[in-house]
Amino acid sequence: MSHTVLVCDDAIFMRTMISDILAQAGFQVVGEAESGVQAVEKYHQLKPDLVTMDIVMPDMGGIEAVREICKTDPEAKILMCSAMGQQALVVEAIQAGAKDFVVKPFQPSRVLEAVQRVLG
Amino acid sequence: MDVSKYAALFLAESREHVSACNQLLLEWERDPGAVEPVGGLFRSIHTIKGMAATMGFTGVADLSHRTENLLDALRHGRAAPRPETFQLLFRAVDALGRAIEGAGTGSEPPADEVLGSEIDTAAGATVGDQRPGAIAPSANQTRPVQVTIRSGALMRGARASLVLRRAEAMGRVTALRPPAAQLEREDFDGRFSFRLESEASDDEVAAALCTAGDVEAIRFEQTSPAEAAIGIRGRQIRVDLGRLDALMKQVGELVVAKNRLIVLAAAAQDPLFEELSDRIARLVSGMQGEVIAARMAPVGEVFDRFPRLLRDVARDLGKRIRFDMEGEEIELDRSILDEIGEPLLHLIRNAADHGIETPERRTASGKPAEGRILLSASRERNSVALRVSDDGRGIDRAAILAKARREEMADASVETLTDDLLLRVLARPGFSTAEAVSGVSGRGVGVDAVMTRVRALGGTLDVKSEVGRGTTFTIRVPLTLAIVRALLAVAGNERYAVPLAYVAETVEFDPGAVTSVRSREALLVRDRVIPTVHLRHLVAGAAGPAPPRRPTIILEVGDRRTALVVDALMGQQDIVVEPFDAPRGMPPFVGGATILADGAPALILDAAALL
Amino acid sequence: MPDSPTLHSVIFRIGALICAAPAGIVREILPRLPATRIPGVSEAIEGLVNVRGSLLTVLDGHVLLHQERRADDEGAIVLLDVGGRRYGLAVGQVLDFLEVPAHSVAQRADLPGVDPRLVRAVGLRGDQPFILLDVEALFAPIIGADGQLP
Repeated sequence: MSHTVLVCDDAIFMRTMISDILAQAGFQVVGEAESGVQAVEKYHQLKPDLVTMDIVMPDMGGIEAVREICKTDPEAKILMCSAMGQQALVVEAIQAGAKDFVVKPFQPSRVLEAVQRVLG
Repeated sequence: MDVSKYAALFLAESREHVSACNQLLLEWERDPGAVEPVGGLFRSIHTIKGMAATMGFTGVADLSHRTENLLDALRHGRAAPRPETFQLLFRAVDALGRAIEGAGTGSEPPADEVLGSEIDTAAGATVGDQRPGAIAPSANQTRPVQVTIRSGALMRGARASLVLRRAEAMGRVTALRPPAAQLEREDFDGRFSFRLESEASDDEVAAALCTAGDVEAIRFEQTSPAEAAIGIRGRQIRVDLGRLDALMKQVGELVVAKNRLIVLAAAAQDPLFEELSDRIARLVSGMQGEVIAARMAPVGEVFDRFPRLLRDVARDLGKRIRFDMEGEEIELDRSILDEIGEPLLHLIRNAADHGIETPERRTASGKPAEGRILLSASRERNSVALRVSDDGRGIDRAAILAKARREEMADASVETLTDDLLLRVLARPGFSTAEAVSGVSGRGVGVDAVMTRVRALGGTLDVKSEVGRGTTFTIRVPLTLAIVRALLAVAGNERYAVPLAYVAETVEFDPGAVTSVRSREALLVRDRVIPTVHLRHLVAGAAGPAPPRRPTIILEVGDRRTALVVDALMGQQDIVVEPFDAPRGMPPFVGGATILADGAPALILDAAALL
Repeated sequence: MPDSPTLHSVIFRIGALICAAPAGIVREILPRLPATRIPGVSEAIEGLVNVRGSLLTVLDGHVLLHQERRADDEGAIVLLDVGGRRYGLAVGQVLDFLEVPAHSVAQRADLPGVDPRLVRAVGLRGDQPFILLDVEALFAPIIGADGQLP
């Protein structure tokens, strides 16, 4: 029984990379979103076990999307993907309900560790 | 992070908690007003939940979560739980046990929704407004927590926020230092502290906070009993039994080599060599002691499951049985302990099934309606005695004697059935204890199965029974299997090892003290008549005439004794029981074989077979 | 003569008989070792020997084949794997390791004084006949526990 994942990032490169890391670790990437609005829609539609969420995205940012998702599902397992220097935003995302975060540039092992923590 | 490698640990620890839950439930059921059991139950279930969630065993986590809610409701409810509630909790713990076994071995069973909703309903009914999942904070469980974030971690401020979120999920967080704003700016050295008001144990808090990631250390400043327990746990490690077995085998070989070395050193007459050999001998003996000690475990580990089992058996049989245990702290070698559970189980079941009478019958015969079964362990010399006693109807000796006569195990002249003969009849393959009691064939586990298992462990089985008063079965097993201390006895030019576990004393054979008992030769030792066995006759083949002065080994198993007359004694030696393929027709008094200090093989005599 | 099938055998003498065991089941050849007698068992069991720290049951080929032990024999123990277990066979002397062309081995023939059920085949070593023993049949009545050991 592999966990399902929704990958949200506006950069196709980042989506591909995250998808690859997770797929290789046996996760099933069931959907991708390139905006906050799409992320919320697809979350309700796909009900994934895990969401990876970029902080800065067009059409509603990642933090807004976390807030929206957690409004209906406080148990949603959302992993924030952030860049250096975004600490304040990450803290905000955590307060909005994100369960963990990883910092770019990604190391697969760190991503998987965080994913396991979130799913645990 | 691969959690699968923790599966074995999860399994071992969860089993302990399930076993603890059963104990606590029994205790609580006996005294529904007691408050300690429910607290312990709550903690055990909560711990299972945390571990299962970490392992991703959602079924286990869900069931423990629901059970925890019920316990929480009961804990805060005013009314004492009702019998149905106990039954439900027993079922929940059973289901949890099964789910854990399944999950731990890779196949989590499907969730039992019926049970789940029964638990939920019970939880809702007990306390109306209890919100499931909420752990009620209580004022007396506030503790200081100090967290250190790993120094290389990225965004330590954000990490600290995560830790705080985890803490908030468990209870109320106060007195945060440094304050939140400072933490979020990462204006701190990686350490921060707060007070947490939560029911969860320190272990649970630590485990939950660690799931935030990059946590280097968590400290609880105050010393609570729970923390003391962490301290103790810190000094223990779990070791795979296979490793201990391998170590034991190596030490066994070392012991053989050491014995050899002592012989060589004595022959060499070189003081330096002898000194070195002495030193090595001492070190090896010390090591042997340590390994044996490491393999010892309290019999309580096996006893623990019996109260629950007996409760269910008694329920099914419609009998009232009080079950007591004594000597749980007595230790036995792990490998023996693992084998002894089943024979004990047979005996306990038999006692409940065929020994204890129905409440009506007991009352009619002037006994208390509640029957009693006692399981006890005690040290006897180098062996451990395990007893299963009941105060039931006892064995009908007349019926057994008749049967013994029918099967020509006793001739018509035998008037009374001794305990010895009783055991021999009981231990006939296929003979059931149901038959022993009622004289008719019926269900019941044969004593022969018990006997076989016990003998395979180098142990013995005894029975004592009195009609109307009850029956006691006694299993005696050696403390340890692999290395035993033995006396070397000589017959002709052959040497035999006699395990010390059953040696009471050695005396000189005194022809003047020879008498006879039931037409067998016996020896009078301090006013006690002890049947004799001559090793020379036993092994038929010892060359040369018997010496005039012969030492005699008094073997003792329980209260039965035999005097083994030998040609000479050659002192004691630690012997390692070596496996070999027993040829056809090997006599029962050969219990095994070993290699002596000079490298020659020698046979080990089985004391039980000589009695 | 490219691929003529051959039979690898260990040749030994037991009393007056020249015997062979298939090399495939022979593990080792040891000098004669002191054996510890096991009381009560068949006379064909010489006893237990210590082979580098392990106990091994040794069967006496002379008793099994009703042969007289010869005074000039050094004695040897042939370690054999039989029925998944290892046993020693005490023989008078080990003579040879032989690769016999299969065609020189005739199927079972009657040999005076030897139970034909114990003979798998008869062959020639030079001009000397030898019997290829059916070791399993030879050991069967003796080994195999009816009383399991602890």
